Amino acid sequence: MGMSKRDKKSSFTSPCAHLRTAYHNCFNRWYSEKFVKGMWDKEECVSEWQKYRACLSEHLDDKHLSRFLEAEGIVDSATQGVKNPVDGVSQ
Amino acid sequence: MVKAYTQEHVYKHPWERVTSASWRKFADPENKRTLSHILEVDTLSHKLDSLSGKLYTTRALTIHAPGPWFLRKIVGQDICHCVESTVVDAQSKSMQLTTRNISLQKFIEVEEKIRYEPHPENLTGWTVCRQETSIRIKPLSALASMAEKVEQRCAERFMQNSVKGREVMERICKYLEAESGGIASNFH
Repeated sequence: MGMSKRDKKSSFTSPCAHLRTAYHNCFNRWYSEKFVKGMWDKEECVSEWQKYRACLSEHLDDKHLSRFLEAEGIVDSATQGVKNPVDGVSQ
Repeated sequence: MVKAYTQEHVYKHPWERVTSASWRKFADPENKRTLSHILEVDTLSHKLDSLSGKLYTTRALTIHAPGPWFLRKIVGQDICHCVESTVVDAQSKSMQLTTRNISLQKFIEVEEKIRYEPHPENLTGWTVCRQETSIRIKPLSALASMAEKVEQRCAERFMQNSVKGREVMERICKYLEAESGGIASNFH
């Protein structure tokens, strides 16, 4: 909550704006065309998300906010650890 | 010292469309002018439970909240970061958003809860939105002596913005409706 934040105005993550738009567009399409129609078994927009998130973790300098990014990293590794290693049943 | 406000609104659109609109509310360039207090929205985390159909998302909202000069002087900034956590249950059709400020917490705590569910009288066609806002000035903060006034102002602003928010939601819903139904027939 430093006073220096005053000068930064809004553009604290604007280097990621393009990646953000790409991800949000993809997400919005997935949400309304798949997720709410019962097709939630498959995650989409994964590469868009990874690129955007990588950019955020580089440019998000607000420590209050980056805490939430880090928290997600922990959740990620936790769920991956639990994930069932049963091979391809995608069909 | 807590002030709480509740509002209810019925959208004459299905839950799927209304919640889609909710995701687009801040991002749509056309709405940026109406909701000009929202400067940026970033998704910080995203998790899909692919077995139960639950989606968990955390977003950061950067909000421009200019107050009177004396308030700015005390607080030292006029932008504020909020964190919005959303849980969508596609199976039971509920979406719940909780937004809290993470900046300025030593002065004020604002929490807004929004819940979208199918309307009991028209489960497939309408959606009811319940919104609960609570505002709390920290008792020993520099704002405490004028808490009443600040809470009032803050509440008024919230009310104004939620009216604008509803207008934007209605507009996006109409747009999505046209997109899903109208366009196909227009081309024939």
